[in-house]
Amino acid sequence: MDESIRRHRTVAGEHGAQRGAHRLEPPARSIFDAGRTETLPGALVRSEGDEPSPDIAVNEAFDGFGHTHALFREVYDRASIDDDNLPLLGTVHFGRDYDNAFWDGERMVFGDGDGMVFGRFTASLSVIAHELAHGVTQYTANLVYRGQSGALNESISDVFGALVEQRVLGHTPQDASWIIGAGLFTDQVEGLGLRSMKAPGTAYDDDVLGKDPQPASMEDYIDTVLDNGGVHLNSGIPNRAFYLAATAIGGEAWSSAGQVWYDTISGGTIPASCDFVGFARATASKAADRFGADSIEHRAVAEAWATVGVGM
Amino acid sequence: MKITVTRSGGIAGLTREWVVRVEEQGDPDSWFRLVEQLPWNERYRSAPGPDRFVYRIGVSRRHITLPEQQLTGPWRQLVDRVRDAAEQPEKE
Repeated sequence: MDESIRRHRTVAGEHGAQRGAHRLEPPARSIFDAGRTETLPGALVRSEGDEPSPDIAVNEAFDGFGHTHALFREVYDRASIDDDNLPLLGTVHFGRDYDNAFWDGERMVFGDGDGMVFGRFTASLSVIAHELAHGVTQYTANLVYRGQSGALNESISDVFGALVEQRVLGHTPQDASWIIGAGLFTDQVEGLGLRSMKAPGTAYDDDVLGKDPQPASMEDYIDTVLDNGGVHLNSGIPNRAFYLAATAIGGEAWSSAGQVWYDTISGGTIPASCDFVGFARATASKAADRFGADSIEHRAVAEAWATVGVGM
Repeated sequence: MKITVTRSGGIAGLTREWVVRVEEQGDPDSWFRLVEQLPWNERYRSAPGPDRFVYRIGVSRRHITLPEQQLTGPWRQLVDRVRDAAEQPEKE
């Protein structure tokens, strides 16, 4: 067991009498270095209380976890990934030229990129938050990672990825870029980032990568066997619904539309196999519960789904 | 014999494809030996992991889909070799 987990468990044990009470502890972060191998977890290189590392990827992961933990704790009253103060574990420098980042069920893992198309994957706060949000989804709605429920799982990670960035930057929906993974591409790529929540299908258009294939509404829904049924493609549809709802409501997206989406995944009302229509209905219902039936939030959410072609 | 490796998924959702024609490679026999070792009865065991790559591998008319967590042994050797050969044809 690594030291941070041991420390966490000791603290939890000391407060055993409070078990069941909802304690919102500060983050318990540990960052590991895989040394360009694919062996996890790698060597522990930074824990809570340590000085910043000379390695920028280590600090980006550490700080990114802190910002993401803060959104869930300070806005949604959630104690880390599992709502029980789960330590946040990350591994950087995974693999050789590894063009990816992922959540493996227990930790967030980041590659360095190949240097041609991608640089290091910790360079984008929205990507770090995206991975941590996969953990939150696992412990809440646990949406099956295939087809429409998989695209919703992906979209939820993009939503909270964007919201963490917007909150740190103090951006309104109008100020925000709504780009996921800005800064990941090298200078050789013609593109803003991996995805645009505002205008799915427009994030990049490049000689080597081709054009961003994301659909922006149901009429362009992609049926494919690749990517677990297009989970990173069709996520464009619910992504745009979120953008439209947040923009129509205005103000801080994380406390309006973001609160509705958080209520939806944590509310225990959607099945793991939830499809777009079921999710749309659940968000409208949660918007009415939280802000009132026929409130601006409720109407904005319903209208957003209609605009992207998801009928209720 | 044509070998196609299609990698989809990953957080970027970018699909990449690498194709090799074995007869055009410098050492076809070593390719055939590797192909003979492929465990085609491998099944997609684990639940798909968030943002993990998914590999679809085609050798002539046979295909298999495997998540990167299961890309080990001869499958991993084949995929690495196809990528190298397809990206640097001058070296073969």
